[in-house]
Amino acid sequence: MGAATAGVALFCVLPLAYMIAAWFSEPGREMSSYRDLLLDSRQRGLLVNTTILGTATAFTATLVGVPLGVALARVALPFKAGLRILLAAPALLPPYVVGLSWLYLGEGSWMQGLPAAVVVLTVGLYPLSMLMTEAAVRGVEPRLEEAASLTATPGRVLWRITLPLVIPSVLAAALVTFVLAVSDFGVPALLRVRVFTTEIFTAFAALYDFGRATALALPLLVLALLFALISVRLTGDRLVATRRGLAGGELETFDGWRPAAAGAMACVVLFALVLPVAVLTRQARHVSSWIGVMTGSGDAIRNSLTLAGVGATVVCALAFWLGYARVRGTRLTGLAADVLFIVLFAVPGTIVGVALIGLWNRAGVAGTIYATNGMFVLVYLARFTPLAALAVAASLRRVPSSQEEAAAVSGASWFRTMVHIVFPQVRLGLFAVWVIVFTLAFGEIGASVLVTPPGESTLPIRIYTLIANAPPGEVATLALLQIAVIFGPLALLGFGLSVGRRS
Amino acid sequence: MTAPLLRLENVTKAYGRRTVVQGLALDVAPGESVAVLGPSGCGKTTVLRLIAGLERPDEGKIWIDSRQVAGDGRNTVPACERQVGLVFQDLALWPHLSVRDNLAFVVASTAIAKDQRTARIDDCLGVCRIDPRLADRYPHELSGGEQQRVALARALVGTPRVLLLDEPFSNLDTALRVALRQELAALQRQLRLTTIYVTHDPADATALADRTIVMRDGRIEQE
Repeated sequence: MGAATAGVALFCVLPLAYMIAAWFSEPGREMSSYRDLLLDSRQRGLLVNTTILGTATAFTATLVGVPLGVALARVALPFKAGLRILLAAPALLPPYVVGLSWLYLGEGSWMQGLPAAVVVLTVGLYPLSMLMTEAAVRGVEPRLEEAASLTATPGRVLWRITLPLVIPSVLAAALVTFVLAVSDFGVPALLRVRVFTTEIFTAFAALYDFGRATALALPLLVLALLFALISVRLTGDRLVATRRGLAGGELETFDGWRPAAAGAMACVVLFALVLPVAVLTRQARHVSSWIGVMTGSGDAIRNSLTLAGVGATVVCALAFWLGYARVRGTRLTGLAADVLFIVLFAVPGTIVGVALIGLWNRAGVAGTIYATNGMFVLVYLARFTPLAALAVAASLRRVPSSQEEAAAVSGASWFRTMVHIVFPQVRLGLFAVWVIVFTLAFGEIGASVLVTPPGESTLPIRIYTLIANAPPGEVATLALLQIAVIFGPLALLGFGLSVGRRS
Repeated sequence: MTAPLLRLENVTKAYGRRTVVQGLALDVAPGESVAVLGPSGCGKTTVLRLIAGLERPDEGKIWIDSRQVAGDGRNTVPACERQVGLVFQDLALWPHLSVRDNLAFVVASTAIAKDQRTARIDDCLGVCRIDPRLADRYPHELSGGEQQRVALARALVGTPRVLLLDEPFSNLDTALRVALRQELAALQRQLRLTTIYVTHDPADATALADRTIVMRDGRIEQE
């Protein structure tokens, strides 16, 4: 457990702490210069753009996600499991891949700027709102809505009973969406929107101004801390609580909404999933040889697959012990861990990249590692361990501590208890976390683009750099490959879950 | 003979392959109080849910006040238009609404004029012997017996044509259960309520019902 805590301190906390400490201890650093930097008109513009991007995305994603979540929880629909997967799938597409398709759709003219970035990020983030709302509505005792439906119309039941009971979850989802939108680098960079993340990237990659990049990162770090505190306040212990079985199933009350719900879901799937893939496929048709394009990017593809696989495995191993410590610790340490994990998760990729460079770019062993692909694994550890630890903790929570106590009084050692009692009950959950981390790592660009060693590349970086230098068909082909690789492990997970449910 | 206020004709309901109500026929006269007795899982609660419109019958028809409300495998009248009051086994009080607001939600859905709604709620609180000082409290701030009264008041405040009770006293201790049973029996007589009361306790049935039917495996075994 101590090793896991040391791991999170070394891989996640230390780079950020070092970055901030280095900035404050820089000779001649004065708060007045920092104030001037943040308050000049250019930075005010950044602040306005970042705020609009986050707020508008959170608003539209909530507007789309909440009705879908309610429908998934309460309206009887055929093939609901498949519909849920299709509706959630856009969350797993790298946002810049979706952005790319929209860019091609608008032929590079009208699909640019802040409104376009809001649309693209909404497409990628509404599933969060949808899934969190569905989980929350399923947690509402159905009798409460049934009691209301004896006198009120379905609309009034939803408005007065269902929604007030799930509003904390809806707000928490909106908050997550806001933070993820303001943390994103790929979409604003692609659609030419100046926000903090793109400015940090420019300050560091183009001007190599570590101090300026750190100064610009500080408002986002404060935002991440605020977000974590509000999230824990809104959701409390439910953050890692188990989902209540089928307490809240479909209700006869909402039966009349079936056609509207099915129609809305079909529209969203078409808009958020089918359209981007179709646009990329149309572009890719212009390429004479798909094999040729993939061979040309062979190293980047191999790198991405290997590094994402290694990264997901290492992250899951560390997350397991962190999650275990989180669940078996006291309530206070648990909440403190939640705050820390959420803060770390909310830190934008570009900031993680700058922090890792600050810590590892030096002479000696660190410098040796800095020159290798190991930096990508460090990026994945820093960015995804906190999220994985929260997810693993949710899985581990389903194993009551009394089961471990029963094994202990039966004479089993702690290790044997873990191997034979705890692990078998959470292995499917762990596999799901591995797939999620693999997917995120495979699409990571914000930090990777900064720490890439000379001569090395991953598929997202290759796509990002080719956008300006290669024919659209070639870029679209690689983007499609990226989508295909992401959906491969997901199909495997779906199979694993269906087998798990049957057994 | 008086026409029945509630009629179930050959009603069948299954969940997957499990049939929980099989060819049920039942007539309930206006003002009559019927107790449905039977072991757990015999389909008693499903009968109430079918009458309330919370489930669809697979076969058979249901009439309330001579109006067909369900038939041909669908609900022809939705739950909110059936004028039925239901006290759930777990009470299902809305936790985010105060006692008064729990009742106000129901009253707002009825034809009661706006200026008479507060009086109607106060009347109902009085009839159910709820201390007016509790009106602004939330359900979790009430004792078990107080919650029980509020659930009953909420079911009555909309002046339902049929009152359905699903083992409402099952979570109470014996003394409170006996006291509330007596109060409910008095209330039934006072308001001339048409009531269907589901229970597995013969003592409840004897105290509250004019007539008792016994269900087993989804069928009426004894009437």
